[in-house]
Amino acid sequence: MRWRIAAALTIGMASTPAMAANKVAPLPPYVAAYQPTNVDERGAWMMADEDERHLRDAADVIRDPALNAYVRGVLCRTVGEDRCKSVRLYILRVPAFNATMTANGTMTIWSGALLRLRNEAELGAVLGHEFGHFELRHTLSSFRNRRSGSDLMAWASILVANSGAMQISTIGGFYAFDRAQETSADMIGVRYLATSRYPSAAAADVWDRIMGEADATAIGRHRKANQKYVAGFFATHPTNLARATYLRAAAQEIGDGGSAAADAYRAALAPWLPTFLADQVKLNDFGGSEFVLAQLAADGWTTPLLFARAELYRERGNPRDLVSAAGFYQDAIARGDAPPEAYRGLGLSLLRSQQIEPGKVALRDYLRRKPDAGDAALISTLVDS
Amino acid sequence: MLTSVPVFAQEKTGLKPGFQLKPGTARIVLLRPSIKVGAQSTGGMFEPNADWTAQARENIAAALGLAQTSLGNIVGDYVEPGNADPAMLAEYQELFDAVAQSVIEYQFFPGNRLPTKKRDGQFEWSLGADVARLPGLAGADYALFVTTEDHFGSTGRKVLQVFAALARVPVTAGVHKGFAGLVDVRTGELVWLNADLQMGGDVRDAEGAQKRVRQLLEGFPGKPADAPVTAVSAAH
Repeated sequence: MRWRIAAALTIGMASTPAMAANKVAPLPPYVAAYQPTNVDERGAWMMADEDERHLRDAADVIRDPALNAYVRGVLCRTVGEDRCKSVRLYILRVPAFNATMTANGTMTIWSGALLRLRNEAELGAVLGHEFGHFELRHTLSSFRNRRSGSDLMAWASILVANSGAMQISTIGGFYAFDRAQETSADMIGVRYLATSRYPSAAAADVWDRIMGEADATAIGRHRKANQKYVAGFFATHPTNLARATYLRAAAQEIGDGGSAAADAYRAALAPWLPTFLADQVKLNDFGGSEFVLAQLAADGWTTPLLFARAELYRERGNPRDLVSAAGFYQDAIARGDAPPEAYRGLGLSLLRSQQIEPGKVALRDYLRRKPDAGDAALISTLVDS
Repeated sequence: MLTSVPVFAQEKTGLKPGFQLKPGTARIVLLRPSIKVGAQSTGGMFEPNADWTAQARENIAAALGLAQTSLGNIVGDYVEPGNADPAMLAEYQELFDAVAQSVIEYQFFPGNRLPTKKRDGQFEWSLGADVARLPGLAGADYALFVTTEDHFGSTGRKVLQVFAALARVPVTAGVHKGFAGLVDVRTGELVWLNADLQMGGDVRDAEGAQKRVRQLLEGFPGKPADAPVTAVSAAH
């Protein structure tokens, strides 16, 4: 019943933050410009400061001001203006779904996550989760948990005969502690969403799709698709299924609405989409990449998506894939705004499908459109021979 | 009492054959030292300590300033030009760390040498000639890299060590390692590297830091043979 009400709100109302805020526990009071207090925390911040020096100057940080301002804006709209001031946000060009937070407020989000998320609300859910780790001081408590556990194990290994079982349960405790932290970061993330303009149901949507992708990857690699509810012994995070389930339940309880701002998200990501897609295609994960592309194309196949799909098929390179790839390249070209590389891909796919003359025509097209291409000399040998 | 696991037969210094640095001929630039100081928990975990690290950073900088006189050449701090590309310097810091670790791993342990590093008296490592293009190294001849890491054994760790010794279990207390290297800016070659996994000198106080710096610079090419110890201890 609640679920229906939530759905109706999503459609019918723009934003109901005040109403939502009444239903969820209030956020903890926030102290701006927090400084670490005790020796452990100061040490953790020092290490994080040193790491950030490296990160700040690292080559794989995306420095595009427009993209950075946009992602930061979503963070601020999710956790609130005063909270987001304490965070330095770095966008890393890594084609995997992840985001991180360190003790001193260094947040990273990876390009693979930006590619997979569909709207501002989902991005806010991911960033809010990471901010939750910072606000709840998780680095410090995790460090202390591990230290007291390893102290205990060190003594046990000397003083207790046959301490193996005890050591195993202590090690299991480390991972259980980390999983509990992830869950509490998830829950505070939902609370940020609930008080923001975004719908809190977005947090669960992320994990539903990540599960779908994991299944597609497994099937593509001829393995058994398998989602578990209970985390394994060494798991640092709850399973995706468990997260989707409890986040969905929490969002239903909150029952807030609001716009997820999918159009604005797509527009902001558009300049980087071809780059992120190219990185994804190179992962040699046919099943997973096909799934990601299909998700992105839910509202129709755009030129960058068609081109990426064509490249994906051409790289797998079965005879049937080359036929599909040529078709996708042609679809992309027919839309009128395809990159010159689409002609190269089309030509190479046709050549390898024994369609020599049409292939050469396409390659000549490529050379004409991009005469200074890095591989122009190589491609021209295929045309002339 | 069992204080440490047996030390492996390890070399500590590598010098490019024939390399000699005449006093007063070269300008050496010291890149930002990597310094990490903390405690070692009973279970062996590193507990970073911000105050100790700040002290060590100050003490080591002062000690390097003192030692400079005994090196016979000018050592200046690296000053990053305002408009420089910080990513490039960061990459070279990482590259130096990677090369230094490789030298320690694959050259200083004779039993572990790579097939290309087996010839006697050979020391052939390089960061590549593009080091010369690093902003801010224009007037410099050599770049000096310094790295130290200290985990001081906590009381708990030391008590554990005693009990462990009674039970005939080897447990070490404390980690004190460091290395220093000199790179020829014009060719990118690593001309000298000194690494020690069991260093002396408590970097948290001034005298200890001087001892540490003396050890770090042991075997530095081109300084007067017995100068470092006497010169620096004469300074106070």
